[in-house]
Amino acid sequence: MKRTSKEQPTDLGRRRFLGRSGIAVAGIGIISSGLLTPAAWAASAVGEHASATLLRMARDIYPHDTLENKYYAAVLTPLARKAGKDMALKKMLAEGVKALDQRSQQLFSRNFLELEHESDRVLVLRAIEESPFFQRIKGDLMMGIYNNPELWPRFGYGGSAWQKGGYINRGYDKIDWL
Amino acid sequence: MNTKFDLNDDSLVVIVGSGAGGGTLANELAQKGIKSVVLEAGKRFKLDDIENDEWKMFGKISWLDKRYLEGPARLAKDFPNLPAWIVKGVGGATMHWAGVAMRFQEHEFRMRTENGTVPGANVLDWPITLKELDPYYYKAEQKMGVCGTEATGMPFHGKSSHYKVIEEGARRIGAKCEQATLAINTQIRDGRPSCQVNGFCMQGCRIGAKWSTMYTEIPRAEATGLVEVRPQSMALRIEHDKQGNVTGVLYADKDGNQHFQKARLVSVAANSIESPRLLLNSASPMFPDGLANGSGQVGQNYMTHTTAGVYGEFEQPVHMYKSTVVPGIVHEWKDNDPSRGHVAGYELEVLHLGLPFMSAFLNPGKSGWGRELADSLANYDRMAGFWICGEDMPVESNNITLHPTEKDQYGLPVPVVYKTDHINDTRMRNHAYDRSTELLEAVGAKKVNYLPPYPASHNMGTNRMSRHARDGVVNRWGQSHEIQNLFISDGSQFTTSGTENPTLTIVALAIRQADYIADQMKRGNL
Repeated sequence: MKRTSKEQPTDLGRRRFLGRSGIAVAGIGIISSGLLTPAAWAASAVGEHASATLLRMARDIYPHDTLENKYYAAVLTPLARKAGKDMALKKMLAEGVKALDQRSQQLFSRNFLELEHESDRVLVLRAIEESPFFQRIKGDLMMGIYNNPELWPRFGYGGSAWQKGGYINRGYDKIDWL
Repeated sequence: MNTKFDLNDDSLVVIVGSGAGGGTLANELAQKGIKSVVLEAGKRFKLDDIENDEWKMFGKISWLDKRYLEGPARLAKDFPNLPAWIVKGVGGATMHWAGVAMRFQEHEFRMRTENGTVPGANVLDWPITLKELDPYYYKAEQKMGVCGTEATGMPFHGKSSHYKVIEEGARRIGAKCEQATLAINTQIRDGRPSCQVNGFCMQGCRIGAKWSTMYTEIPRAEATGLVEVRPQSMALRIEHDKQGNVTGVLYADKDGNQHFQKARLVSVAANSIESPRLLLNSASPMFPDGLANGSGQVGQNYMTHTTAGVYGEFEQPVHMYKSTVVPGIVHEWKDNDPSRGHVAGYELEVLHLGLPFMSAFLNPGKSGWGRELADSLANYDRMAGFWICGEDMPVESNNITLHPTEKDQYGLPVPVVYKTDHINDTRMRNHAYDRSTELLEAVGAKKVNYLPPYPASHNMGTNRMSRHARDGVVNRWGQSHEIQNLFISDGSQFTTSGTENPTLTIVALAIRQADYIADQMKRGNL
């Protein structure tokens, strides 16, 4: 799937990445049909297989089963967008996915995406965790998942409080199970 | 406020650094009518610049100039370029601190006498006692507004849910636990508001309830008209005359232009990596090993406190972030009781991290990922725990040296920090892990996580105070043994680290030092 000249890698990023990844990866979450846009610049930047592999990998690095794919995709999309312009990054992602599959083939005679068990995928990922490729994905994910104000309520974290007058009158001393 | 001094004015005190040591000294001297220029490497921030956002503030105020951390400790692997977590900005590390203000214990000034020789450590008694420092601690507590002390009469903050969990655990195992004496207002005091429990004390208090020289000592010093603060002014070297007295400080401004500010007296208060670095970078034919370094102790005995984190996961919510960052302290093991298997003591400081930092420090480094970590982070709201803060053994080989070839943006050799545990540190940390676990499990923790040390905010010892010139860098007043008009005014003058957070002691020493300098000037000795 080629990117047409009219499409800009701006607003379309997140959902298109998601769209392509969702097709390739079975069983990792419900993708709403509205997001299944066929032309995926993200996939064209790093390849459809790579997009899907990255999403699977992202979910294994910080696995929160109740978090929707869109939060993981929101991390990968800007990365793929950047790779569209940054040849070194594009190469790192492409070669990283390739190395991941190679390691997977060595251990299980299948590509990473075809490994059904999390424990098998983790074994493959542990084998490449020192690589700049893995660390880049991990670093971006840490920021994108745990430093994402949109997700803080899901983790029970309050975020910025000064503008709400802090917690002095909002239950700083409340606990009922001691 | 807009005082400008001439570069050739040699009647001035030049102070390098504007944090707990430098900022306090400038104001104390100014109140006595003594003029100074404060050279601060970082920018001037406003209260509006302070956000309740961990990573944004980390990026905004941290000292991120190139440094190397070496040694076999895990910290060097996890954070090879970030040995210390301190600030580059007017106010220095008084922006990044939780406000914990505790006095040293009496025995902590004489650890050599208490324990004799500790093999592999370079322990020395301080040349001062608690009794001598007590009046200055009192003044420091008043100045900083420390709650829960006689000096201010301000009450404690009140028990947060996080504190209550720990207090109950401590009660169940018979350990002593108290609310923390914090330099954070619990009443409107000294022109600053009362704490509203935002939960973001550490990286700068948005409302200014926590003491920082940024909005207390510095503006007060400037208001006297006797102090000029020059932000974005990086000290490069200290010059001296033929007699060996210092004459001023060469520094680079924000555009990289170099200036030489003449001085009557120089105070170095740039924290325990930059302070010795400046002395080492000031080597000359007369002082080939660096200024004030006849003992060879400049840059040695780098201490950070023996630290780690411990967080328990409970079945019910704790919401630890709805609290002052350090609401309380478990004091049970702060004494010096070698029967525990280690000398010196530690505090368990009840302390929360936000989710962003918890994700970074729960299992830092390259292999910190996977389901176990994610499951713990999913329990963020049900966590409670500690930061372990214990006395760190001074070890000569834990030190600050200059990189042989690599230079930073100012053209100065990059500092290389070597830091690893003394066996006493390891034993102490393990003891603290065990007791913390016992405490947390006593109140129902289902899982207890051990966080390895993260980059140090308590940095001490690299220009230490000693009775004899052969053992250290400065005397009991923080004055160089070798150069009488050169002073050290930060935590690098600590002879040993004590168990307590260093800021209060730095401030007490700076107030005391200002008295001494003023007195010596009056007598015509300086």
